[in-house]
Amino acid sequence: MQLVSKSQLPMLPQKRPHPDSKSKPPPLPEAEQKIYTSIKSKQSMGIWTADIKRETGLPNTVVTKALKSLQNKNLIKDVVNVHNRAKKMFMAVEFEPSREISGGSWYTDGKLDTELINALKRVCLRYIAEHKVTTMEEISRSIEASRVLNVPCSMQQLLEIVRTLVLDKEIEEFRSKGAGEFARVPSGKTCYRISRGKVGTEAGYLASVPCGVCPRISECTPDGVISPKTCVYYNKWLNLDF
Amino acid sequence: MISQDGVNLAVCVITAHFGDLVAKVCSCLLKRGSLSLQEIVRTTEFSNSQVKNCLLVLIQHNCVQAFSVPRGGAGGATKTVTQYMALFDNILHRMRFSKFLAIVKGDLGVQCETLLQGILGYGRLTFDQLMVRATSKQSEGSSCNVDVLRKNFSKLVHGHYVERCPRPEPFIAPSEEAAPARKRSSKIIHFVLQFREEILSLEQQVVIAASLTDAERFSEIPNTGTDASVTEDKQDVTVGDKQIPFGEDQRKFESTELDEETEATISETEVLWRANFQKFVFCLKKKVCVAKVRSRKGLDAGVVLEAIIESSEQECDSSKIYGFKASMDSILEKVRGKPDGISMTLELVRGILEDLDCSSHTEDCNVYYTIELQCITESCRKDEVESLILTKYGKEAFRIFGLLNRKGSPVETDQISDFTLVDKKVAQQVLYNLWKDDFLSMQKVSVEGTGQRRENFLWKLNKKSSWNLVLNHLYHAALNLNQKITHVVEQEHEALLSEEKLKHLKNSRTILELSLLKLDDAIMIFHDF
Repeated sequence: MQLVSKSQLPMLPQKRPHPDSKSKPPPLPEAEQKIYTSIKSKQSMGIWTADIKRETGLPNTVVTKALKSLQNKNLIKDVVNVHNRAKKMFMAVEFEPSREISGGSWYTDGKLDTELINALKRVCLRYIAEHKVTTMEEISRSIEASRVLNVPCSMQQLLEIVRTLVLDKEIEEFRSKGAGEFARVPSGKTCYRISRGKVGTEAGYLASVPCGVCPRISECTPDGVISPKTCVYYNKWLNLDF
Repeated sequence: MISQDGVNLAVCVITAHFGDLVAKVCSCLLKRGSLSLQEIVRTTEFSNSQVKNCLLVLIQHNCVQAFSVPRGGAGGATKTVTQYMALFDNILHRMRFSKFLAIVKGDLGVQCETLLQGILGYGRLTFDQLMVRATSKQSEGSSCNVDVLRKNFSKLVHGHYVERCPRPEPFIAPSEEAAPARKRSSKIIHFVLQFREEILSLEQQVVIAASLTDAERFSEIPNTGTDASVTEDKQDVTVGDKQIPFGEDQRKFESTELDEETEATISETEVLWRANFQKFVFCLKKKVCVAKVRSRKGLDAGVVLEAIIESSEQECDSSKIYGFKASMDSILEKVRGKPDGISMTLELVRGILEDLDCSSHTEDCNVYYTIELQCITESCRKDEVESLILTKYGKEAFRIFGLLNRKGSPVETDQISDFTLVDKKVAQQVLYNLWKDDFLSMQKVSVEGTGQRRENFLWKLNKKSSWNLVLNHLYHAALNLNQKITHVVEQEHEALLSEEKLKHLKNSRTILELSLLKLDDAIMIFHDF
């Protein structure tokens, strides 16, 4: 008896369709088809439930039932809109939510991944502090080589992190002059170093007195109900509560 | 245009120094602009003599300037009317007298400081009056050396700390008459700024018209030569080192000498002197800029900046509108004259000058460096506002504000959130709060996309109005500090206070007074520098 592989056997007619066969799925009921068409047309932007009802003109119960059915058939998925996490939004499964909906690479389920961002900031800051002057490429290479992160991080993402450090005045951004402390960086290239002095962290003159940060400053008048004489913030600031 | 907060602060200062009557007249001028005597009488409902006395006090203390304007009368006749204008800047300078005195004490010593104290206290004095004051202050048994006084006074004049008082009542012609003619006369002066003509406000025109030239302002009192000896022998007259033959020449010489003596007497008894606020503002500006550079770029950078400013003062004209220019040699000399600069090399100094963004050029084989303090003072203003935003609204707001400051153009909400990595909801709230408090302007834009219509918001930092907003907050805070100080002083005088409470109140007053001095530095950064 010669053993043959399954593939050598002639194909026999099937009594029931195979679950993996590529035959067309059964047509959707009218309501589901209408809703599915509406959702698919929005592509990666998705559509709110309320907008589906308005576009299709179908009653509430029909829409709700249809959406559940479509989800079970794996034709649509619900996505979180970063601008309004409470509202339900749907999208065809073959699309990925656009940046406008998802919020971008730093968002997961509509929430900003602050933990990842802060971790990356600490790592970048540590590298920049260890080196007098450094470039974006050096930061990226160093982080990749150190394998401190268990998630992949693109150069673009690292650039976004470094930009926030500049805005926070933790680091300074320069164009290299190609000489002095910038000698090893080609002239004109953007580079970074730790901020010198107390930039951005020293309290200003106005911020150092209660009036500077007072939420009621616009209501404060010399002889009014809110005045320097009666001000509770002043009394607390000077420990004059006696 | 002075804001209400600025007016309130100025009135508070005048009230504290001169009382309610004078303050009411001053308030009237600050709120309504320049007025004639009769207009002030009508507005304040004071008597003629009361208003006159108040104006005299304000003029004496350089808080008001009088000027004449033509006014059309009945029947087409034009008459000259005297109007009075409050000088807001000079009123606020009254809060800074202790700083001015400290500057002079540091530069010229205690004796000059005492002389300046007299001038500041009385507003304006003749040299004679200064001497009388100095003599009366001397303790019994010690004599007041007039020559020493004269010498110290000369130092103040030579250092431009004091100046001759401006013209008491300059004539201001209407602008339609003045513009076509563009004549220069002793009374009507048209200000041309670096070959451009600016449209000046009435206050600016009055101040310029009243001003003397630099040569006149700082013209020292002539020395009558106290060591001159005139012998009885009419054959040969010796005056100082000169030997003058008797006769016509001698008579001519004697009459010239008399004129000089008369001139000196007039200078001592009739010429009024006052503090030159411009100089003090400049000294404080220099101090703030050097401190800022020191904190940002290190001690060495502070030394170099100070050196370039001081070299520039010696080498060039004093009107530093567009920058301080000095040669490398003079900068180096100044740097090495300072304790922290002795060991600084040429290379280091050159590097720091480049780091300070000084422009350089070569002139007659010498390298010159020029620096503009405007960049440094603008940086001070930016830091002050950012510090306020950080303390009042939080770190996210600080980051967003920094981004909008850099961009300078409107930015959409999502873009702001993406760039600053601030959660979109949080960013929206922060932007709304900043907009509500007038730091930002907002623009709504409708956008069509994939069949949906969305509203986007664009946000922009309007620097000028934000900076004005902060300045008004500073005025308001300074007013509040003044009032709190008054309140604490009243509490100190209450009876039946325990020693501990009294000590606590005194400490509180010290904190408030120091805070007011610091806050005043910020007011100068936004208003005077």
